[in-house]
Amino acid sequence: MAIHAIERATARQPATAMADTGGAAAQAALRVTGLTKQFDTPQGPLTAVQDVSFSVGEGEFVSIIGPSGCGKSTLFKILGGLADGYRGRAFVGNEPVAGPHPAIGMVFQEESTFPWRNVLDNVAFPLEIAGMAKGQRQERARHFIGLVGLAGFEQRYPAELSGGMRQRVAIARTLAFEPKILLMDEPFGSLDEQTRLLLGDKVLQIHQSLKQTSLLITHSITEAVQLSDRIIVMTYRPGRIKRVVPIDLPRPRTSEVVSSEAFGRYVAAIWADLREEASRGMTDAERPS
Amino acid sequence: MAATERLTPATARAIDPVWTLRLAIIAALLVAWELLARSGLLFQDVVPSLVKIVAALGLLMVNPAFWSNLGVTVSEVALAMAIGGVAGLATGILVGGSRFLSRAYEAPLYYLAPTPKIIFFPVMIMWFGIGPASKIAMGAVSCFFPIALSTAAGMRQIAPVLIDVGRSFRASTMQMVMKIYIPAMIAPVASGLRLGLGVAIIGTLLAETKLSNKGLGFLIIQSYQHFDMPEMYAILIVVFTLAALINAIFARPHNSPKPNSP
Amino acid sequence: MALVKRLRAVLPAMTGLATIVGAFAVLEGLLRAGLINRYIVPLPSEVLFSFERVVMEEHISQRFAQTLGEAFAAGLLAAIAGFLVGVLLYRNRLLERAVGVWVAAFAAAPLVLAYPLFLVIFGRSSLTIVMLGFLSGIAPVIMKTLEGLHAVRPVLLDVGRSFKLRQGQIFWKVLFPAAVPTIFVGIRLGLIFALINVVGLEFLINFGGLGQLINELAERYDMPGTYAAITFVILISVVIFAGLERVEQWLRPSA
Repeated sequence: MAIHAIERATARQPATAMADTGGAAAQAALRVTGLTKQFDTPQGPLTAVQDVSFSVGEGEFVSIIGPSGCGKSTLFKILGGLADGYRGRAFVGNEPVAGPHPAIGMVFQEESTFPWRNVLDNVAFPLEIAGMAKGQRQERARHFIGLVGLAGFEQRYPAELSGGMRQRVAIARTLAFEPKILLMDEPFGSLDEQTRLLLGDKVLQIHQSLKQTSLLITHSITEAVQLSDRIIVMTYRPGRIKRVVPIDLPRPRTSEVVSSEAFGRYVAAIWADLREEASRGMTDAERPS
Repeated sequence: MAATERLTPATARAIDPVWTLRLAIIAALLVAWELLARSGLLFQDVVPSLVKIVAALGLLMVNPAFWSNLGVTVSEVALAMAIGGVAGLATGILVGGSRFLSRAYEAPLYYLAPTPKIIFFPVMIMWFGIGPASKIAMGAVSCFFPIALSTAAGMRQIAPVLIDVGRSFRASTMQMVMKIYIPAMIAPVASGLRLGLGVAIIGTLLAETKLSNKGLGFLIIQSYQHFDMPEMYAILIVVFTLAALINAIFARPHNSPKPNSP
Repeated sequence: MALVKRLRAVLPAMTGLATIVGAFAVLEGLLRAGLINRYIVPLPSEVLFSFERVVMEEHISQRFAQTLGEAFAAGLLAAIAGFLVGVLLYRNRLLERAVGVWVAAFAAAPLVLAYPLFLVIFGRSSLTIVMLGFLSGIAPVIMKTLEGLHAVRPVLLDVGRSFKLRQGQIFWKVLFPAAVPTIFVGIRLGLIFALINVVGLEFLINFGGLGQLINELAERYDMPGTYAAITFVILISVVIFAGLERVEQWLRPSA
C-alpha cells in the first residue's frame, strides 16, 4: 500500500517549473511564489533559482534536496531574511519577509560557532541577545547542550572541538532559541553517519514536542527521507522544482525507519531523479571555465 | 630521547638534555668571549672582559642619569604608541570596514609598510624640532603601519557567517558591535599592537641615536663617542633585555589546545 | 557594458591614487596661500622639479648601485647562511629544541640598535652595513627553512623511501623541493629586512648610497632635495617589495 503511494508520487512528470501546492490548507508557515535570483559573476550572470514556488504548512517537516549549486542555500538565505535582490515573493505566515523574522531560527552550513566564546556561552548567545537573565539562560543552554550529546563540554572552546562537535554546538544554539520555524542548511554535513542518525532523531523529537515547522536543506537522500513529511527535489542550476515527494512513513518516526523496505524504495526513487541532475552538475564542474 | 623516558620525573628533569645543551652552549660562548678579551688579539676593549662589562652594568644601575634617560625613552615610546595606535586603529577600522575603501587604500598601506621609516627623520626634525617631539613622531610613524594593517585585515576577515548568525537572532547594532565585531577583532588587533610596539621602540631609539641629548639611544651614542665600550655593552644588554621582556609579556598567549578529533 | 565593468573594477585603485594626488594638490595650495610655513614643508611642485636635479647631480646611479649591492650582499649571505643553519637544526633535533627559541628571540630583537657597536668593530664602512643587514636578515631565513622542512608531509618521505632513495637523494629530491616555497618566503623576508636595515644604516652613519644621500641633502638644508630623495627611496623599496612578491607567486602557483 505504501509502495503504491511511492510509485504514484514519483511517476514521471514533466520537469517544468512546478508549483508545489502541498502543505496544510490552513495558513502556511512559510511560502514563496515565483522566486528567481541571479548573481553577478565574472563569467556573467548566474541564475541560482528560477521561478520557485512552494509552501510549508505549520508543523510540517519539509526537506529541499538537490545537487550542489542548485540554489538551495539561496532559498535558505531568502527565507531567513538575509538575502535580497530577488524577484518573486516570500512570506512568513502572512507577513512578507523583511529581514530575519523573530519566529525563525537558522542553522548555517559553514563553521559558525564564535571562537571566542566557550560552548556554554555560544549556546546561550540567542538568549543573551533576547535579554534573558544569566542563570536562566545558562540553565536552558545546558539542557540543549545535553540534548546534542555534548554534556561535559560546556567550558571548552570551539578550537578544542572537532568539526562535527562544533556543528552540534551551532545546532544547540539555534534550538536553545526554541524557534517556531527552523531553517537548517546542511546542518549535519560534517557529522558521521551514526551521529547524523541520532541527531536527526533528536531534531525530530524537538520538532514534534514544540510543534515546530522545519525546513531542511540537504544533499543526503537518506536524511531527507528519514526526517521529512515532504521532499522537494530541485533541478541543477538554474534551480527549479523538479518533483515534490510526499513521504508516507509513519509518525512518530525514529531512525529505525531506515531499515524498512518503504524507506529503501523512497530513497531509490528519489535518487533516480537526483542522479540526472547531479551528473549535469558533475560534467559542468569538469568543463574548463 | 628514548633513554630518558623510563626515568622518574625528578631524575628526568635533572638531566634534561635540552637544558644541558643550552647551558653548555652559553658557557662555551662566555668562555670564548673572555679568552678573546684577554688575548689582546683585538683592539683594546672592542671585546672587553666580562668582568668589566658586569662592573659597567652595576655602575649603570646605580647611576641616576641612566634611570632618567630610561624614563625619557619609555615616555617617548608610550606617546608614540598612543598616537600611532589610535591613528592606526581608526584607519584600520575605516579601511577594513568598507569593501571600497579596503580596495582603494589597503594596498598602498601594505606596500608602504616595509620601507625604512628612519629616513623620514629629517622631515620630523623640520616639523617638530630637535626635542622629544621628533622622536615621538618617528616612533608613531613606525608603529602606525603594522597596527593599521592588522586592524584592517581583522575587520575584513571576520567570517561573514558570524555576522549572519548575529542577524538571524536579530541582535541590535550595539549588540552586534559589542558581542561580535569587537571580540572577533581582538586577536588581530592585539597582534598588530605587539608588532607596533616592537617597531615603535626601534624607531624611537634610532632617532635618539641620530639626534638627541636624552634617552637610551643618546646614552648609546655617548658611550660610542667616549669609546667607553664596557658601558656601551652594558646599555645594549639592558636595551635588549627590556625588548625581550616586553616581547615575552605581550607574546601571543597559546590559548586553547589543538582539537584532537577529526 | 563590459567597459563599465572594467571601470568599476579599477575605481578603488584609482580612488587611492586620486586621494594621494589630491592631497598633494591641497598641500600645494595651502603652501602657496602662506597657510603653512614654506620653510618646514617645501612645495610639492618644487620637490617634483628637484627630482631631476637630484638624479643628475648626485650620482644617483652610483649610489643606487652601492645600496643595492650592499643589500644584495647582505641578503645573499643571509639566505645561504640561514639555509645552512636551518638544515643543520632540522637534522639535529636536540640542537633545534635547545636553540630554536633563541632564534625566534633573535628574530624579534631590535638588532639595528647595536649599530654603534658595529661601528666600533668594523669601522664606518660598507662592512658594518653588510654585517648588520646580514644579521637582520638571517633569522627569518632560518625560521622559514625549518618551518618548510618540518611541514613536508611524511607520506612524501615514505614515497621516497619506498623507491629506495638514499638519505642525500631524499633530501634533494623530496624534502628540499617540497620546502622551497616556504624557504623562499623566508628569503624574501630576509632580503626585505636586509634592505630596510641597509638603507636605514646608510642614513644613520652617513655612509654609502641612497641613505647617505638623504642624510647629506638634509644636512645641507636642501629640503626639496631631501624630500625628493626620500620619495625616491620609498619608490624603490615598493618596487622591490612588489617584485619579490611576484617572484614568490610564480614559485607557488597553487597558493
